[in-house]
Amino acid sequence: MANPSSSNGKKVSVRVAVVAAGVVSPLGFGLAETLESLRRARDCVSPVTRFSVTQCRCKTAGQTPDDRLLAGRDEGLRGQRLHRASHMMIQALKEVVTQQPQFNPELTVIGTTSGGMSYGERYYRSLRQAEELRHAPTWIANYPAQKPVLDAQAAFGICAPCQVIANACASGTNAIGHAFECVRSGRYQRVLAGGYDAISEMVFVGFDSLQASTPEKCRPFDRHRTGMVLGEGAAILALENLESAQQRGVPVLAEIVGYGISTDNFHITQPNPSGVGPRQAMERALQSAQISVNEVDYINAHGTATVFNDAAEGKAISALFNGVPVSSTKSMMGHSLGAAGAVEAVFCLLALQHQFLPSNINFSASDDDLDLNIVANETRPAVLRTVLSNSFGFGGTNASILMGKFQA
Amino acid sequence: MSLAIAGMGWVTPLGRGVDSVWERLLHGDEASAVTISEEFGDRPYSVFRVPESALTGFAHSRLRRASAISRFATAAALDALDAAGVKIDSQNTEKIALIFAISNGGVIYTKRFYRDIVKEGAQSASPLLFPETVFNAPASHLSAILGITGATYTLLGDGAVGVAAIKMAEDLMANEAIDHCLIVGTEELDWLLCDAYRRWRLLRAAPPIEPFSKQKRGMILSEGAGAILLAREGGLAIESAHPVGYFTKRAEAVEILKRILRDLSLREIDLVVSSANGTFVDEAECRALKAVIPNALVYTGKPALGESVGAAGLWQIILATQALRSAELPPVLHADPAIALPLPLSRTPMTGARRAIVLSCGLNQQAAGLRLAIR
Repeated sequence: MANPSSSNGKKVSVRVAVVAAGVVSPLGFGLAETLESLRRARDCVSPVTRFSVTQCRCKTAGQTPDDRLLAGRDEGLRGQRLHRASHMMIQALKEVVTQQPQFNPELTVIGTTSGGMSYGERYYRSLRQAEELRHAPTWIANYPAQKPVLDAQAAFGICAPCQVIANACASGTNAIGHAFECVRSGRYQRVLAGGYDAISEMVFVGFDSLQASTPEKCRPFDRHRTGMVLGEGAAILALENLESAQQRGVPVLAEIVGYGISTDNFHITQPNPSGVGPRQAMERALQSAQISVNEVDYINAHGTATVFNDAAEGKAISALFNGVPVSSTKSMMGHSLGAAGAVEAVFCLLALQHQFLPSNINFSASDDDLDLNIVANETRPAVLRTVLSNSFGFGGTNASILMGKFQA
Repeated sequence: MSLAIAGMGWVTPLGRGVDSVWERLLHGDEASAVTISEEFGDRPYSVFRVPESALTGFAHSRLRRASAISRFATAAALDALDAAGVKIDSQNTEKIALIFAISNGGVIYTKRFYRDIVKEGAQSASPLLFPETVFNAPASHLSAILGITGATYTLLGDGAVGVAAIKMAEDLMANEAIDHCLIVGTEELDWLLCDAYRRWRLLRAAPPIEPFSKQKRGMILSEGAGAILLAREGGLAIESAHPVGYFTKRAEAVEILKRILRDLSLREIDLVVSSANGTFVDEAECRALKAVIPNALVYTGKPALGESVGAAGLWQIILATQALRSAELPPVLHADPAIALPLPLSRTPMTGARRAIVLSCGLNQQAAGLRLAIR
C-alpha cells in the first residue's frame, strides 16, 4: 500500500491505527457476536415493538433488545433515567475500554441523527395530551444529542472534548473520517470515533411517509427492491497514531487509510441520479489514501435498498470499480442512520481481520441497470487488503472511508 | 493554529447586519419581547424574535418551504461572504468548508410533523415536513445555495457549540487544501423550547435578563444566526480555541471555566465576552473570572439580544470582534452596579485593547472558550 497523504496531496508520515472497537447492534452485543452473525448472514430484522406501527406501511426494523441492553445498567436513579441511546453508547465504549484501558483519548467524534428523540416524543405527547409531566425534566435533560456521548465517557472516567456530528445518514462515517484526519494531521494522537442512533417513532414514521421504507424484506441492489428498513445501534473505534500505538505495544486491528467527503446539493432527500456525489466521495477517499481502484477488495455499500439510492450508488461504483465485491449489510440489520457508518466500519474491520466478505441477504435477482458483483446471500472467504465503506445522507452529504489490513 | 476572521454576518432580534446591530447595542438598545403561545399550552412565554424586516428582500427558491432557522442562517452566511469579498465559484467550491453549529435545530417543523402524528396518526405525517426536521437541513440548504461541494458538517451541542465549531474549523483547516471555513450558528424559537427550559428552571417569565444577579431569575430565549468566515491570514486572529470541557453538575462548571480562562489568559486580556444570561451560568462565570482575570472588562450581550443557544457562541465572537475593532463597548444592560465585576454599565472606550476572550458556558454540561487578538 502506498504511503498515506493528506488530501492536499502533501506526503505525511502519520498512519492511523484502529486499536480497539466496540459495537452494539441487532447483530449482537460485542465483536464476537457480531462476527458470528455476519458469518451466518443472519436476518436480524423483526416486527417493531417499541411503538405502534399499525398505520405505517413498514412494520419491521432491526432492534437491539432492551432485556440485554438494560441488563447491565446502573440500577441507581441515574441509570434508570438515561436514554436507550446512552446505554448503547456505554456498552460500545465498555468494549473499547476493556480492550484498551489506557487509551486516554484527546478527542471524541461521534455521529448521530436524532439523539434522545424518543424522550422528546414523550415530552410532547404528555404535554399535548395533558398527561403526567413529573418526569419531563429528565426527558428534556436526556434529549440532547451530546448526552449519550457524555454519559458513556462519564461511565468510564473519560473527559475528552466531544464533537457530535449530525450529517444525517453519513454522520457515523463522517465522524470516523474526521477523526482519521485529526490523527493523520498530527494534531491528535488518540481519538475515539463512532456513531449511535436509537429507533424512534418520529423518524420511523418520517421514512414511512416518504415511502422510503418497505413493508417487505430489505433487498439492497435487487431488481425487486422496494425500500429500506430502519435499524439502531452504536459503534466506537479507537484511532491512534500508529507510531504511538506501536510504542505502547498495543495490537493494531486495522488501519484507516483514506477519507472522502462530498456534498452534491441535488435534493434534500434524493441523491443525484448521476451518482456524482457518491462518486466524488469515493474518488476523494482513494486520492486521500493514494491507492488505485484495483487495490480495493470489497465495498460495504450504503445500500439502503431504496430505488434511488441504490441506483445512484450502483452507478457510481460501477463507473469507478471493475467487478469489486459489493454488499449492503443493512439487509441484515436495517439502516441505523447516524450509527450506520460506524457499525459498518466495525463490520469492515471484522472482514479484514477474518478475511471474508459480509453478505447482502434477501438478494434474488440482479438489477439489469446495475453492473455490480453482489455478495449475494452467503458470506464468502476472500483475501482482503483494503475495503471501502460508504455512507450517504439527506441533504446530499456523502462520505467514504478506506480501511486497510494492518501490515507492519 | 491561528486563524483570521475574514467576514461576519449577523441576524438578531435587533435586526440584520453587523454594523447596524452593533450601533444599536452601543446606543443601549434592547430587543422588544413578544409573547408566544401554544394551542395546548397553559401559559405564554416572552421571547426576542427576529423582526420580519430583518429578512425583507431576502429570498431564494431553495428556501421556499424551509423553516426560519434556514433563512436566518443563509442570510447571515451570505453577509459574511459578502463582507469578506469572497465569491464561491467553480474554482473554489471544494476549498470552502462549512460548519453549522446547532443546538435545537428545526424545532418548528419537527413539532409540526410530530403533532400531526400524535393528533391524527402516522398516515397524516407529511413527507414535505420530515426532511426539514433533520438536523442538517439548514446546512444542506446553505450548501446548495452557495454551491459548496466539499466538506459540510453540522455540529450539535449546547450554547458552547459555536466555540466548539471554531475548534473543529481549526482541525479542518489543518488541511491546506481548504482555504476558508464558513461557520454558522443558528437557532429558531418555538413555544416548546420555552416550555422545556422553563421546566428546567432556566427561563424568566418576562424581560429583563439581569446578568450576574444573585437571584438567578432566568433568561429570555431569542433566535437568529451568526456567521463567521475564517481565513488563514487577516487582521483579527483567533489565537487559541480551547477544547470543550464538561461538567456533570452545575456546581462543577466554575472549575471548568477557570481552567479555560487560565489556558487562554497566558497573554494579557483586555476584555471577556461572557455568556451570562441570568441563570446558574452567571455565578459560575463570575467566580471563575474573579479568580483568574479579575481586572479584564466583562461584557455580555444577552440582556439586549436574549439567549440564542446554538447561535450564542457566534454572536459572542462577533461582539468581541466588534469591540476590538471599534475600541469601545456597549453598556451591559440591567446589571446591578454593585456587582463585583468590571462591567461597562455605559458605553465605554477600550483604547489600545488588543485581546479578548470569548467564554461560553452552555446549559447542558458544555463549556468552551477562545482568544481573539488584533494583529
